[in-house]
Amino acid sequence: MTTAIQTLSGTRTNERLSAIVLAAFLGLGLVFCAGFAPAAALHNAAHDFRHTQNFPCH
Amino acid sequence: MISRLLSAALAAGFLAAVVTTGLQLSLTSPLILEAERYETRDAQAAESRSPALPIVHAHLQRVHGGHDHGAAPDAPREWQPGEGLPRMAFTGLATLIGGVGYALLLGAVMLALGREPTPERALGFAIAGFLSVALAPGLGLPPELPGSEAAPLAARQAWWLMTAVATGMGLYLIAIRRAAISIVGGLVLIVAPHVVGAPEVAATKSELPAGLAAQFAARSLAVGFVFWAVIGLAYGWAWQVFGRGRAANGPARA
Repeated sequence: MTTAIQTLSGTRTNERLSAIVLAAFLGLGLVFCAGFAPAAALHNAAHDFRHTQNFPCH
Repeated sequence: MISRLLSAALAAGFLAAVVTTGLQLSLTSPLILEAERYETRDAQAAESRSPALPIVHAHLQRVHGGHDHGAAPDAPREWQPGEGLPRMAFTGLATLIGGVGYALLLGAVMLALGREPTPERALGFAIAGFLSVALAPGLGLPPELPGSEAAPLAARQAWWLMTAVATGMGLYLIAIRRAAISIVGGLVLIVAPHVVGAPEVAATKSELPAGLAAQFAARSLAVGFVFWAVIGLAYGWAWQVFGRGRAANGPARA
């Protein structure tokens, strides 16, 4: 019983950790694309959003 | 848990993008278009004086809406959305991408700190997010209209990033840790970027009316606040909704 609970909580901890890492990685990637990516096409596409959301622009 | 977080973040980002895109198109985009008219005039004057630098060149094309005004022939034309509907659509798309990104970060932070997202709690975290990435960087680098050129981009991006991270850490130390020593540390972290000082704010002459710039700064912060508030409320709501179906399958999947 104790082993089962430990295994369960171990699995949940791992799952929680991977969820945090995945969400943080994806989130930073998306915010970078929308707000910081230097490529001119991305800058031009997101231009008005960057100005409004106070990302440094130009 | 992973799919619950991703689904809730997608839903929250989408809802926030719908609301915020409407606000951007009605409140801030008209001011940007207005400012670009002044910028075009300034840029044309500058262009006739000196050969365009690459970065100025890219900017001119943005400003001129795709019309070539005798820019350097060797520089390639950069893609940009057409004026009108395409431009609005890409503003909406960028808002969606940014909204989902911020919602994912909100979810990651709440999960890492072991806080069950409810609309109220997620709203609290979202307000901290607004303070970190909008208000605190805005104290040193106020939201700018096109045409008010300032310090080099890299310096401003570095200061922006440093301020956002320091403010977020500071708020965590103050609001979550709550020990006397961490509150002091948190205050130091929040104040430090402003003591160091932001890269110099535009002291350049521009024909841009100051009223326009002030109105844009205020509206931009207001839109940013709504953006974050909707992300927080919607994320907490969606987390609860997506959790309801799973409760039946066993708490381990929650």
